[in-house]
Amino acid sequence: MRSRKHMLESLDQDIRDHIERETQDNIERGMTPEEAHFAALRKFGNVTRVKEEAREVWSFIWLERMLQDIHYGLRMLRKSPGFTAAAVLTLALGIGANAAMFSVVNAVLLRPLPFSHADRLVRIYSIKYGVNLGGPSPLDAREFARRNGTFDFIVSYDAWRKNLSIAGEPEQVYIGLVPAEYFQALDIQPLRGRLFTADENEWGNHHVAVITASLWRARFGSEESVLGRSARINDEPYTIVGVVPDAVPEWMEKLHTKINVWTPFAPFPDVWAETNREARGFTTIARLKPGITIEKAKGDLQVIAADLAKRYAVDQGMDVTVEPLVNTRVGNLRPALLLLMGAVGLILLIACSNVANLLLARNSLRQREFAIRGALGAGQARLVRQLLTESVLLSFLGGGAGAALAWFGNRWLAGMRLEKFPQLAGATIDPSVLFFTLSAAVLTSVVFGVLPAMVSARARPSVVLKEGGRTSTGARGWHTLRRTLAAAEVGLSLMLLIGASLLIESLYRLQNSNLGFRADHLLTEHLILPDVRYSDPRKITQFCEQFADHARAIPGVRDATITDVIPPSYNWKQPFTVIGRAAPSPGDVPQANFGVANPHYLRTLGIPLLSGRDFSAADTVATSRVTLINETLARRYFPNENPVGKQIEVGSPEDLPGESNAANSNFRMTIIGVIGDTKNRGLALNPDPDIIALYQQNPEQNFGYKSLIVRTAVEPWQIAGNLRRELHALDGELPFAEVRTMDEILAQQTADGRFSASLLTIFAGLGLILTMVGVYGVI
Amino acid sequence: MSTKEQRERIELLQGTLDLLILRTLLLGPAHGHAIAKAIEFNSDDVLQVEQGSLYPALHRLIKRRWIAVEEGASENNRRAKFCQLTSKGRRQLAVETNKWDKMAGAIAQILRPAVREGES
Repeated sequence: MRSRKHMLESLDQDIRDHIERETQDNIERGMTPEEAHFAALRKFGNVTRVKEEAREVWSFIWLERMLQDIHYGLRMLRKSPGFTAAAVLTLALGIGANAAMFSVVNAVLLRPLPFSHADRLVRIYSIKYGVNLGGPSPLDAREFARRNGTFDFIVSYDAWRKNLSIAGEPEQVYIGLVPAEYFQALDIQPLRGRLFTADENEWGNHHVAVITASLWRARFGSEESVLGRSARINDEPYTIVGVVPDAVPEWMEKLHTKINVWTPFAPFPDVWAETNREARGFTTIARLKPGITIEKAKGDLQVIAADLAKRYAVDQGMDVTVEPLVNTRVGNLRPALLLLMGAVGLILLIACSNVANLLLARNSLRQREFAIRGALGAGQARLVRQLLTESVLLSFLGGGAGAALAWFGNRWLAGMRLEKFPQLAGATIDPSVLFFTLSAAVLTSVVFGVLPAMVSARARPSVVLKEGGRTSTGARGWHTLRRTLAAAEVGLSLMLLIGASLLIESLYRLQNSNLGFRADHLLTEHLILPDVRYSDPRKITQFCEQFADHARAIPGVRDATITDVIPPSYNWKQPFTVIGRAAPSPGDVPQANFGVANPHYLRTLGIPLLSGRDFSAADTVATSRVTLINETLARRYFPNENPVGKQIEVGSPEDLPGESNAANSNFRMTIIGVIGDTKNRGLALNPDPDIIALYQQNPEQNFGYKSLIVRTAVEPWQIAGNLRRELHALDGELPFAEVRTMDEILAQQTADGRFSASLLTIFAGLGLILTMVGVYGVI
Repeated sequence: MSTKEQRERIELLQGTLDLLILRTLLLGPAHGHAIAKAIEFNSDDVLQVEQGSLYPALHRLIKRRWIAVEEGASENNRRAKFCQLTSKGRRQLAVETNKWDKMAGAIAQILRPAVREGES
């Protein structure tokens, strides 16, 4: 642009020459030199404007003006540091809260799953008579896999809690039970070794394992010799045949824990036997063929499900549904996140109206400046642009500080280690969050900047200057505007406060809901007695009785029981029949939670006996089977009669058409007592019917998966050391696992409520502070 | 100043000043003042150029390389910058003239029947 410089440098001279020539002409026409000069100037027009227009020809004028505006804006912000600090801080809080919340929403709702075919991964669920029963049975899933035309993979798998010894202390962990197709569907390739062969999914050939790279590093120092090494799972040796990357995120199996060890899909010996067609509730992962919609795939599977329903009695009334895997990531956080996102939006509005108010106040002091600049020829648009530039500068400063605040917010959230929400750990300040912050800042500056700028730039020079800067005419309108903004702020922060107090109230109700048992001074521990050494139910009973007896002998222990149901949430439903009242159709068979315990169950948990008698030591395998039912079951199925002494049969009814019961595992029990309801499906919902039996009397329901519950007179954790010693004195191979107090279990139950309530309270507090500052400035 | 005097003068349409400058320079190189004079003289003083506005227009044409400048000496040996048409400018003049003719013809066609209707 050499010509530009040259042209502009000589412009002054050119203009002078021009005017001189015109003057000369005028003199020749007979004017006096003075007249001639003024006539020439008049004819030439506004010299400054000509120069500016000529300069515009050569320059990116908008850029120059913008730089000028920015320069000027920065000077204005520097000149009033108090105002600048207040505005930037307000915006930083508003934008920061939004950026932090967005980073969470981004991690949990928006970001694609970390798999290469993420958008094609789905889960499949069986529905029977309108009730979602979880994944289809492996047998049904295999038929879906063989007969569909819309899926690349349909894989049944599961994750079971087992004892694991792998180069160290025994521990209880979740082990994935998966065929090789599980990894293939997720597109996970082994780093070392191989995946499982089809043969290895056969019971008996299944003693091989694949581990993650992180476990490989932690336990084997990433040595190549890991292949062929052994891991003990439930006291059986498994050979490590492969290492896979840490590609399966923690949230994926809904276990709130990462899976580091997988063995082939051989959950029990006869999983592929026709008797297990009803074994629903396994997890299913499936991958759609490219370009297939969820609806089309669902339709495809429904045709197959309808055919299965016709062919197999246990599949009667069966339907199927398909859910994108990405939807399962947010879990039950979705409403909380949307609520909190709305809350931070309100905070940003409060921050905006606060800053708008500050700007109005400051601009009213600058009326004289605007008026003079207007009089000197600055157009209204130019003034508005100048003011908007100041707003954008403010919001960029605020946005930068906000991003920093969001970073700290994320660190704080990660530091809380919310066990129940591993998906929150993925919240980071990544480019999309930064982009969101930038957009929020720009949008914010428009929202808070336009109104003050329009109002201020409208100042009429004649009025303002005549009044000597005290703008009495405009003032009333301004004050109305500022009062309106303040009122809006109060309204918004009130909304936040009400929302927060409602959440806190419902949380309070949840935490103080009637549990049906005494939750204080309880310690729980989870047991897995491996099949190899505890194959006989009598051995399980013997171990459990000894362990509970020894626990009771520990100083500070009041009572102890062993059971497979721990309130306030358990869910193992069994169909049952009241003897003499067969259900008319398969859809009408009543269902109840079924659990086993020993005779100390009621006393340990503090559950009241309403009628009849409690279990006693006299109820043994030699006497007739007895059971306790809860109040809900009694009211629902024995209205207006005494259930004590009546008989029930647990299991699918035999005599109903279409219900196969080849195994005939049903058993009859006599009801000996009615107990008070305890919460059994979370704190919020009313309890379902419960049937509690004795494991001593029911060998077919006496499994190695149980929990010890101890009622203490002292602080529960004080007895943990002694309890561990008693366990290892009985069986040194068993891990002392998942030790929690009932208070901790209940806290987990309300984790999502506390998450949203505490964040909303913080946000409401933030909104309140901003509003107070804003209103204080107006009054 | 915003009075009768100004209104009787015909304001130049946007872009027509460029056309007039190019046309003037077709006769030979000239400096700014001479161009202004020539436009006024050749239009019998109907088109009054606010002389200052000539300079941004000249800069615009130079930037587009339709005209070029060179230093030279004027009538009474004063230093002056002479503008002259480039070949690109010559082509552009032909294009612009053509466009102007078409537009003027079109406007005339629209206006003339309108006048007749107004009379009847």
